[in-house]
Amino acid sequence: MTAIATDAGVLALEAAPAQGRALAPATTDTPDRRLAQAADCAARPVLALSDIALTFGGVAALRDIDLAVAPGEICAVIGPNGAGKSSLLNVISGLYRPDRGQVWLGERAFAQVPTAELAAHGVARTFQNLAIFKGLSVFDNVLMGLAHRVRAGFLRQIIGSPLARRIEAENRAAAEDVIGFLHLGDVRERSAGSLPYGLQKRVELARALVARPTLLLLDEPFAGVTLSEKLELSEHVRNARDLYGATIVLIEHDIGVVMGLSDRIAVLDNGSKIADGTPDEVKADQAVIDAYLGVAHQDVTELAV
Amino acid sequence: MSAAPSTAQLSPSAGAFVIAVGAAIAFGAVPLLGFDYLMDAVLTPFLALALAAVGLNLLTGYAGQVSLGSAAFLAVGAYATYNLHLRLPQLPLLVDLVLAGLIAAAIGIVFGLPSLRLRGFYLAVSTLAAQFFVQWALTKFGWFSNDNPSGVIDAPVLSVAGFTFTGPAGRYVFSLSVVVVATFLTLRLLRAQSGRNFIAVRDHELAAKVIGVPLLRTKLLAFGVSSFLIGIAGALWAFAYLRTVEPAGFNLDRSFQILFIIIIGGLASLRGAFLGAAFIVVFPLILSRAGAALLGGVFDSGVLEMSQRIVVGALIIAFLIAEPRGLIALWDRLWRAVTRPAAVRNT
Repeated sequence: MTAIATDAGVLALEAAPAQGRALAPATTDTPDRRLAQAADCAARPVLALSDIALTFGGVAALRDIDLAVAPGEICAVIGPNGAGKSSLLNVISGLYRPDRGQVWLGERAFAQVPTAELAAHGVARTFQNLAIFKGLSVFDNVLMGLAHRVRAGFLRQIIGSPLARRIEAENRAAAEDVIGFLHLGDVRERSAGSLPYGLQKRVELARALVARPTLLLLDEPFAGVTLSEKLELSEHVRNARDLYGATIVLIEHDIGVVMGLSDRIAVLDNGSKIADGTPDEVKADQAVIDAYLGVAHQDVTELAV
Repeated sequence: MSAAPSTAQLSPSAGAFVIAVGAAIAFGAVPLLGFDYLMDAVLTPFLALALAAVGLNLLTGYAGQVSLGSAAFLAVGAYATYNLHLRLPQLPLLVDLVLAGLIAAAIGIVFGLPSLRLRGFYLAVSTLAAQFFVQWALTKFGWFSNDNPSGVIDAPVLSVAGFTFTGPAGRYVFSLSVVVVATFLTLRLLRAQSGRNFIAVRDHELAAKVIGVPLLRTKLLAFGVSSFLIGIAGALWAFAYLRTVEPAGFNLDRSFQILFIIIIGGLASLRGAFLGAAFIVVFPLILSRAGAALLGGVFDSGVLEMSQRIVVGALIIAFLIAEPRGLIALWDRLWRAVTRPAAVRNT
């Protein structure tokens, strides 16, 4: 625990889940435990994966993945096609249930993260293939990011009770804020489906950011956009961390894009994590170079021999 | 999304003026001038069908859950109102109406449960179960029609707080008031978070789930509110328009008719529901007049019905291909062309 408090960097990565596991049996709400929580909450990873394994009908999509993301970090997960990047994100957001291992969101561990409660746990995500609501205006799309905050029932919404009106006003103010932050003011009343691709990506980012998530998962945010949009979007991602305080995990196919943006890079290949470190460390890593240049995997070579 | 485009173009005072003139014509001029045929044969069925279409549009157009069971909920509304009126005579009619809507909503929620697992075509087929089950139950159990041997029931006189709504004008004003209030409340719901949730579930269910939209509650709310509105429409259809009720009047054809109204009028638009209902009610009348004038004796009722089906069928195909947003999209385009010709030419 002390190691984490002093060094929130690479050291914490493996230590955090182990320490989490040690805590897990003592789920009773003893005063000691609360004290312990208070002590380490400052440096506790926002997201920790311990020993995650996932197979699809005999094909191993993920094996023995450990990962911890410290608060305020921008962590990129990169790897070639089919490396398991999207599977990893789907495990974190509860769309897949791993065969083994646990996902830690803050201080809570899950065998499968409950997707429906993701927003309530302060996690937001975007999708590789756009997942905006085409029939809603840009503003309403952003407002949807706060759907989980609307506690007023439908009858209260119809009659416009004070509670319903207060929540609506709060949410509108928050949406207005993000719209300004991501420069979407000019298109706020346009139907989201009618916008160009790059703008739609930005709308999706706005929808994820509006709830001010502690953890923001971005699935290939730079795929399919032009170079200038890429630069703009990565600026927005950095601002999302700096101004909104979100810890960010992003998936990217192309190693070049995330070099300047990320604090840390984890490299997946063939379902395993082959490297994890600062951009410079990862760039110099022989395993990473091999993966990207397409050297045959060890097990495959053995089979061939 | 529904009424926003047209009202957005008008300034608030102009919008209020249009509404005031519309209300004065609908509530004042039409009943006072005594167009009895118009009210009896056109406007009253139009209002009932429009409310049913508002209900189905909420479910299918906004929330994206296809249903072929609308007529079942019309029947539930009609028979529930009848039985509440018969068996609990101390209750005022409006309470009967609301309770009948709630009963329809409860049945709608039960038949909406498969929507959690099924979508699209498969869900539509499962809602057929509601259609057949309700019609069967109403025919099978004489209790629902007060053991009337023919299964046909006579509607009670509409009366609210001592006022009786007899005659075409009375029944028209009663229907109009109910439909206006119900539509207004529906509009409020659709413009609140629940309405946005409906569209989110329709457009991208997975993203909606990740954001924290409660899928189960949202879908069942759509089924419940939709069935509530259709149930009230059924009561209007039975008591303000037909004044007799029989299960055969609420068959699958009726379900399809309401579905066609929202496809032709415009999915996910309350104005579209009204426009589509107007079209479905007025179109056969125009067709029969036109047919009789052009073809004379050859155009009998059999030919009329056949040609009506052909034209509606062709229109459905045409709309689905050329303008999936229905009549209301054409209407909006026309409106823009009239009010701002320059802007249209530029786009």
